[in-house]
Formats: sequence, C-alpha cells, structure tokens
Amino acid sequence: MNAPRQGARLSATPLRFRFDGRVYTGQVGDTAASALLAAGVRAMGRSVKCRRLRGVMTAGPEEPNALFTVGTAPAVVPNVPATQLKLTDGMVLETQNRWPTLRFDLTSVLQLGSAYFGAGFYYKTFLLPKWHFWEGMIRRLAGLGKAPGRCDLPAPSLEHSHCDVLVAGAGPAGLAAALAAARNGARVVLAEREPLVGGELEFEQAQIQGRTSAAWTAAALLELARLGARVLTDTTLVAGSTGEMVLHTEPAGMPGAARVIKLRPRALVVATGAVERMIAFVDNDRPGVFLLGAAERYWVRYGVAVARRAVLFANHDRVYVAAGRLAAAGITIAAIVDTRASGALSAEAQRVATALMAMGTECLAGSAILAAQGRVRVTGATVASLSAPGARRVIACDALLVSGGWGPAIHAALQEGGSKRYADALGAFVATDAPDWRATAGSADGAMELAGVLHSGVAAGVAAAAHAGHRGAMAATPAASGDPAPQLQPFWRSPADETEEKRQFVDPQNDVSVADLRTTLAEGFIDIEHVKRYTALGFGTDQAKFGGQLGAAIVAQLRNEPVPAVGTTKLRPPFHPVTVRSIIGHRSGARLRPARVTPLHEWHVAQGAVMEAMGLWMRPRYYRANGNNATDAGIVEAGRVRTKGGIVDGSTLGKIEVVGPDAAAFLDQLYLTKASTIKVGRSKYMVNLREDGMVLDDGIVLRLSAERFLLTVSTGHTEHMVSHFEHYRETEWASSALTLTDVTDAWAVIVVAGPECRAVLASLLGNAWAETLARLRHMDFATGQHEEHDLTVLRASFSGELAFELHCRPAIAMALWASLVGAGLAPYGLEALDILRLEKGYLVSSELNGQTTPYDLCMDGMVALGNPCVGRDLLDRPAFHEPHRPRLVGLRATDGHSPFLGGAQLTEDAVTAVPAGYVTSSAYSPALGEWIGLALVSREVAEGGVLYVRDPLRGGDTTVKVVSPVHYDPKSDRMKS
Amino acid sequence: MSRLICPFCGPRELREFEFHKTLPNAGDTPFERVYLRVDSLTHSVEHWQHIQGCRAWLHVERNPSTGAVLVMRLATAPGVA
Repeated sequence: MNAPRQGARLSATPLRFRFDGRVYTGQVGDTAASALLAAGVRAMGRSVKCRRLRGVMTAGPEEPNALFTVGTAPAVVPNVPATQLKLTDGMVLETQNRWPTLRFDLTSVLQLGSAYFGAGFYYKTFLLPKWHFWEGMIRRLAGLGKAPGRCDLPAPSLEHSHCDVLVAGAGPAGLAAALAAARNGARVVLAEREPLVGGELEFEQAQIQGRTSAAWTAAALLELARLGARVLTDTTLVAGSTGEMVLHTEPAGMPGAARVIKLRPRALVVATGAVERMIAFVDNDRPGVFLLGAAERYWVRYGVAVARRAVLFANHDRVYVAAGRLAAAGITIAAIVDTRASGALSAEAQRVATALMAMGTECLAGSAILAAQGRVRVTGATVASLSAPGARRVIACDALLVSGGWGPAIHAALQEGGSKRYADALGAFVATDAPDWRATAGSADGAMELAGVLHSGVAAGVAAAAHAGHRGAMAATPAASGDPAPQLQPFWRSPADETEEKRQFVDPQNDVSVADLRTTLAEGFIDIEHVKRYTALGFGTDQAKFGGQLGAAIVAQLRNEPVPAVGTTKLRPPFHPVTVRSIIGHRSGARLRPARVTPLHEWHVAQGAVMEAMGLWMRPRYYRANGNNATDAGIVEAGRVRTKGGIVDGSTLGKIEVVGPDAAAFLDQLYLTKASTIKVGRSKYMVNLREDGMVLDDGIVLRLSAERFLLTVSTGHTEHMVSHFEHYRETEWASSALTLTDVTDAWAVIVVAGPECRAVLASLLGNAWAETLARLRHMDFATGQHEEHDLTVLRASFSGELAFELHCRPAIAMALWASLVGAGLAPYGLEALDILRLEKGYLVSSELNGQTTPYDLCMDGMVALGNPCVGRDLLDRPAFHEPHRPRLVGLRATDGHSPFLGGAQLTEDAVTAVPAGYVTSSAYSPALGEWIGLALVSREVAEGGVLYVRDPLRGGDTTVKVVSPVHYDPKSDRMKS
Repeated sequence: MSRLICPFCGPRELREFEFHKTLPNAGDTPFERVYLRVDSLTHSVEHWQHIQGCRAWLHVERNPSTGAVLVMRLATAPGVA
C-alpha cells in the first residue's frame, strides 16, 4: 500500500469504488477522475461517433470525455463527468459508449476500415433504402449514457430565499466582491461550484496584502462568516431568469440529487472565472492530452502527477510559471512549445524558462505541436517550427499539457439582457451591456492578473451592494502580486494538411474536427448556429464550454473573417446538466396532482368501485360486483335504474351561488336564456356561450330566492366557470351588486333515480318530506331540514327516469347514502350514467366540445327567445348557418345489432371519402337492446337516411341510420311521472 | 420565476396568475371586438386573474418583447368607480 497522497482536498481516509467491474481505492475528497489518474488509469471512455479511446482532459465541468454512469441498473445516473463526481465509498462507475468493454470496443473495430464519420455522415450514408431502415440500429449506437430504468433519487429539497447580493464564484474576484458587499452592509450569498473556495488561488502562488493566498482566503472566509454572509460550496448557479437564480447543491455520493435553492437576490455578481481552451492539432484527443490548468489542479488538489515527462504547448507566458510549478512537483518538463516568436517573454517567464532549460527543458519559440504520438496513450509529440512545419521531429513524453488561453465563463452573465464583446488581448468574448443589477468580475470579466481581478471584484461588490440599497465607500483594493500577465497571442490550430484535419479535434465529445467545420462551411452552413446544428459542435454535457470558442474561432479562420464576425452560439441555461428529478423536486405523485374526493369516496372504494379521474376529482366508474369490465357492469347498473332505481354520487357537480340585488340581471347576461324569469322554487336547464358564440357549459340554475341563485356547472369545468363569472363581474358589469361563491364542497349530492325512487325517499325522509316529494313537479325543488341539517331536494333528471337530486351537507351524506342502499337502491357509476344520458340524448363534453354552437346542438328554441347574452351577437355569423355546419343527431345500426364507437368518422356511403361528421358518443343500450349513438353530422345529411361508419384503426365499419337524438322515451313520460 | 405585483397582495410569483386574453383594441362590431387585435410588438393590453391568490381580475399592460409589465391594476371597466 502506497502512502496516502497529499492534496488540498484530500483526507488520508481511504475509500474503495468499482470502475468497469474492477475495484480501485481512492481517498476521501477525490473525484473519480483524480482517483483513477492516481491509479494510472488513462482510458475513461470512447467517443460517441468515432469510438476513439479517450481519457480525462480537464478538471472541471467542461470535461468532454470522461463521462460515467454512476450506480447499478436500473437506478443509475448517466453522463456524470468524472471531474465533477465526488467519490464515496462503495460507488459503482461504468464507462459509456463501448461494447463489450472499453479496451475492446467492437464498434470501433468494425469502423477501422470504414468510411470516415464526417459531419452529416448519418444523413448522407443511410439514405438507402431509407433512413428508418437504419434508424433503430443507429439509435442504439448513438447518444451518450443510457437513461435509467427508474428513478430512485431522493426528492430533492427546494429552498426559496432572498438576499441582497449573490456572488457566483468564490475565486479571488468573488471573495473580494463578497467581502466588499458584506462590509457595506449587504446580505450576501457566495456560491462556489467546488468543495473549497479560492479558485485560482489554490495553485497560483500569490501574495495578497503581504499574506499567502491561502492565508488571505482563510481570513476572508472568517470575515464573511462574521458579517453574516452565507457561503455555499458544491453549489452551482445553473440558471437564472427574471430575477430568480437557481442554485444546485450536489452532495458527495449523490450525483443528480441536487438540493435546489431558488434565490432572489437584489443584485448579482458573476465571478465564475474562465475556462481554459484546447488547441487543435492532430490526435489532440488521445488519452494523455490534458489542459495545462488541469494538470496543476490534479497536483495541488489531489496530489496526482498526471505525467512523468510532459511536453507543454501554449500561446502565452503563463505556461512558463506553470511549468516551474509542475517541475517542482516532480514532473519532468521535456519541452515548452510556444507558438509565439522568440523574444515575446516577460522577465518573469524568461527567468523560469532559463531555470528550466538548465534542467534540460527545451524551450521552442514560434513552434507548435503538430500531432500527438501514441494510440492508447500519448507516447510523444511531433513538433515543428511554424516557419518550417515540414521539418518535424518527435519529442518523447507521456502527456501533453495544452493551453490555448482562457474563455471567460459568461453563461450567467448573458442571461436576461446584456451582450458580449470580443476582447482581442484575450482572444475571447466578455460580457457587456449588463443590466444595472448585474456585474461581472475577475477573469469572467477578462481580468487576468491578480491585482486586476481583485480590483474588479471589489468594484463589482460595492456596485452590487449599492444597487441593493447599501451604499458605501469604494474599499481599497488589496495589494497583490501573482502570476504574470499572459501576453497571449491567439492561436487556434496547428498546421495540418486536409487529410490530417480529420483528427484535429475541436469538440471531442461530439467528435467535431476541423475537417467537419470545413465540410460544413463548404456545404453552405455558414452561420455559427447552423454550424452547431450540422456538426453538433457545442452540444452535449459540456455545452460548448470545452470546444465552443475554439470551434467558432476556427470557423472564422476558415471563413477568412475576424472572430467577432462569427461570434459564438447562444449560451443557454442550465450551466451544466441537471437531472429531471432535480427539476421536478417534490412536485411528483400526489404532490403534483392531489386527488379531490367526495364524502362518499371511502364507501365507493370499499365497495369495489373502479375510480376514474375527472380533473382532480375521483368518481366511481363502475362497481366490480356488477361486472368484470366497465361495459358489462355499466349495462347491468343502467338496466337496474330503468327497472327499479339506483343512486349515484353527484357530489363532484360544480355549484356556484350567486347572491345580490343584481344577481338575476347579471345571469341574464351570461346565459343564453333568462334567469330572471325563473320563479323562486323552480329551476331551469340553461347553457352559457363563449363570447364567440360557442357553447361553453350547461347546467341547471335554481332560484333559491329573489336575489339568490344556485348554478350547477360541469364537474371538470367548475374552476373555469367560476373564473368566467368573476371576469364578467369585475369587467363588463363591475357595478353589479352581487357575490359569487364556489359552494361545490359545501354540498354533497346524491341522485336518486328510477321508478321506485319516490317511494323509497318518502319512507326514508319522513312524512313532511313525503308530501313535498309528491308535490314537486319536474324542475321544482324544495329546501328544508333532514336530521337537523340543511337539505335541498331538486326534482331533475339526467337519466330520463323520475329522479331527485339530494343536496345535503357532507356531514350527513354517508348516513343518507347508507340508508338508501339499505332501502334497496343499488349505486351506479359513470359508465351507467353515460348510457342513461345517451339513451335520452342529453349532452356531455363530447358534444359540448367548444366547437359547437347552440344551433349545432339543436338549441334553436333557446336562441329564438332572443336574450341578448354574451356571445349572442356572433351567433348571427353566416358561417354558423351554412349547410356543412354540424347538427346533433342520433344513430342506430341499420342491422339493429352492430356496435360502433365514439370517435369514428362518418361518410355518406362506403365509397365516398368525403366526411359527413363523426360519432361523439356511443353505448350499448340495455333498454333498447342495441347500440345507440350521438353524432355531429353535416346539416345536409342530418334530416335522416343512412351513413357509413369508418373506424379503420379499431375496425368495425358498419352502416347506421340517422335518428332523433332522443332514443328512449321521447315524450319523457317516465321522467314526468 | 417572474413576479407580478397584485394590487391587493403585492409582489407574487407568476405561477399564481393566469393569463386570460389580450384585449381587443380594434373595431366596434361584435366580430371585431371578439377577433381583431392590434398585435403590437411592444405594447399588449391583457386581462389576467390572480387565480391562486385573491382572485382579482387584473388589467395588465406589457411589453411582450421584453416581458416588462408596464401597468397592473384592477380590471374594473373604464368609467366604473
């Protein structure tokens, strides 16, 4: 056992994890990437398209290659970057995009001799016989990790909170900003993606105010704590919109199970740093090619030397100071390949270079790495002078450490306003034109030297605090000295001939090479957003963080245009991938969709009712005792209502009370027929129109007293209808004196229907009610008491039988229901209700579907009364009276027994394809012994005759005859008996 | 989540409110009042309801291209106290 590694983030405590079936050890604090690198593992994945073996390249969320599936199937989280995956003991990791194993991937073997997978390869190659023939196979190969079979992640907690200033990023700029804002009295939240604050200060050997950077950082944290600032580590600002910032905190060991904080700061400081860039050269994707900064981070944080002998490749001065630090860590620096001409070095860089040369390091100015050597891992670098790229030689090494400069991480700074500006000195875009509540600081704002970084941090912190109402003096910027200015000269790709360009990778995750960009431009996709869509440049988990800027710059080169003329693709939230689970949060199951239940719900369930949802309401569809399925049980239950009687739970019916001196006049405006003519104690079936003339809803309106009405509305429509009435009360007729109250829950409704119902009710409710029941005519109602509770009995029928609706208080509903059952009336469900109403031609949402006018639904008589209500004017539109408008009719099979189903199309005969209408509802009628239906058919055929039912998907084409919509008891003798 | 300022309840999250319609601002005939809108890029007059709050109906004037809310008041019709 080796001695434990020493690193800023490591404890000595060992842990074990499983990677592609093998057990490895790491230390608490390790990421998967650092532990695997320490164990000598270089290959960590295969590329999605070309199946090239890949290793980890970065130490941050920009990682394009090392993406793992974490956990054991089916409860897995795919596509977790190894660089972000904090290890815990016992964690199980799998590589992706390989079969059967990472080292021996059959797909890549098959492709060795095959055509090169260029941009648009799939579209161009799999045209014959047709794309769909190949699609299934390609889809299996395509994509990153596999989605999990089920979600076992815990429901993440969600916090809503507020602060004055949110500082995103706790590097030197973020710390300085947070301190400046907190000192001026602002409530500060400081969010840092990494487990530790400090950012670049972790490895930049800097002096701040005469202290080491580590001492300054520790002091800053202490002061922030004393000032009441909240410092959140492992926390990323993933999105922000309309002033609300979404922070994700991901605890170790639970990738994907983020705690979500929705924070509403008054001001935002974006101090998210900068992301280092790759340079395009041949085979720059081989395991062993790293970003320079990643090599420094792996050493400082985790005590991992990613190389024994490295060649460094860069276009700036920082590579020399980094080389000095890496040499001190024991890495042999074989060569520093600098793309800039000799003489460009600052004194500081020159001093380090001289020292390194004394140790045997070659410093090659005006040169470039043309290619990486080695297939499974890097074995050397092919280098050449840029002035003579033909004269190549190979320098042996086991890693290439590359730095093409830095792109400010401006994702958070480009949400909600603001734009970007190209900074020549950086060769990168910085945010500009920010709204006044947002400031950008540090390297995210293009500052590359520590003194400037701290200065911009302080300035941003003071400005943010001031915007949040905490004005204060501009604090002095701490004196600081750190790494020298980069003196960067943009350099995007090494020279290569056109065949080699295929292996100059720009976006390794999507296998986008320089050749792909060239092809794409040649094929006419010029705009960078089109280039992105054609090549997939910038898609995937890293969302252009790794290759976006590099790709755009190379596009600019290929187009012979300056980089700003090309721009970059739009940066959209989230900053890094988030699981659907963490977006859903606690809003799932009953928390997403609570059920509304009636006072009789438990009885229904106990009696074996199969419940059905209507909106949030749960209603019995049928009772299992009456049949094995809805159709069979419905026929039994409906038949029993007609022969004897039955009861149904109508509590879900929407009920709205309208009270006030103007109630009658108000309702007159909102219903097609007048409410004001209803006498107290009477009720009326009425319909509402939308303002465009379509029927909105129907229901029975009861006049409880001169100024008091009870409206019933459809179960699924109640909330909408309440809003509809409220809208007119508060806009068109705002001076009306009336109140609107949704009393749906205040009244349970039991409907008692059938020939025996009056006798049963009379015996149950007692003598006083018996006399009332005998007196009530159709559509009369009476109010009174039953067992000291209010009871309203409405004689109205939705079944065509003699029926009474009992509107009772929920407290007595169960007792009343139980006594009705005890008296021999069996309950029926929605299925039977639907058969009964269909036999009578009564309407439900299938017919009141928002596309039908009162004329369509045979309500001409109601329109003729001439009440000038909402929507009445538009009924006069000529189009509503044309012959092709639908008309409600009844249907019966011509042979007297064939079934036909709702939704089937109707034509005039079996030959013509011209539609004549469609079946809205259908059912087998136990009373008539055959299938019956309602349909909306063209007026031209509504008068009668025979139509052809077309139901190609479900089968069952048949012929039907057009009949009256009222199939049963057309004179309603039973209902009025 | 955007916030809207309800005249009764103060600043509340957008999810508590429900958009109802863009108000007609062209024509006098019933047809025009129902169907015709001046579809402005920068100024839209709408009715919203604070459906999960006080249920007030609100007259909202917005700039649809920026999302900025210019006016938010009770929707009581003009001329009505």
